[in-house]
Amino acid sequence: MSEKSGFDAIPIGLEMGPFEMTLDDDMVTERVNLVQWENEEPLEKFNVTPPGLTISQHARMKFMALPEMRVSIWAKSEQEFIKPMKKGSKIFIRGRIVDKYTKRGRNYLVSDYETVDEDGDILLRSRETGIYVE
Amino acid sequence: MAKETKTIEVDEEIPVLTKTAYMPIDPDTRNVIHTDEYALNFGMRGALIGGSTLLSYVLEMLYNYFGEKWQYHGRIGVSFIGGGAINGDVLTAHGLVKAIEQEEAGTRLKLDVWLENQMRAKILVGEASCIQ
Repeated sequence: MSEKSGFDAIPIGLEMGPFEMTLDDDMVTERVNLVQWENEEPLEKFNVTPPGLTISQHARMKFMALPEMRVSIWAKSEQEFIKPMKKGSKIFIRGRIVDKYTKRGRNYLVSDYETVDEDGDILLRSRETGIYVE
Repeated sequence: MAKETKTIEVDEEIPVLTKTAYMPIDPDTRNVIHTDEYALNFGMRGALIGGSTLLSYVLEMLYNYFGEKWQYHGRIGVSFIGGGAINGDVLTAHGLVKAIEQEEAGTRLKLDVWLENQMRAKILVGEASCIQ
């Protein structure tokens, strides 16, 4: 009997995180510059981050949970924005593998993420499908 | 002060947003699709710009239209198609109103959204919606 490895061994339900981060000035500025976000309203008028600023952390969480993964390429992304993220606050992201499948010879992983603030209020719900390559 | 209510009809486009795509190449990245060497071998034109960065371009277009309401009522679902984007591509985000529906929280606009490059090739397509 051979043991499963790699993609076959990834269990549905595998948890990723929780990943904790503080939305401090350095982090926000770095990410705003990276995505060339120009609308100053969220930062200057509402003291919150632009929407989606933390989504790039989801891939990081996946790489931390799946050491054999070499490449992850987004195929689909669904995002539901529920509450803005306050600058300077702490957020927590919890992720889970909810499905996997193979199509035209490529392996895909489907992951759900929930981002909450320090009070446990949900800020962002995400479902992302990515091509998985070892 | 509340934003001025905008009148928009089905089949009208919201204002587009254009960016010159850029993502620094980190040779030590764990996700090697963001390196030229691996991406070229994978059949791409070069190191791919991250999907979350491409999504941000579309999100800024939507935020520019919906304002802070996007942060409470925004929904988006997209697929990444074609060959993705590499540094220097000129990308334009589009949003075309497909439906206007009443719900308890207000009037929700449903849009087709897409991101196209300088060759008019779509690299991201999907739907978005928000209370106006």
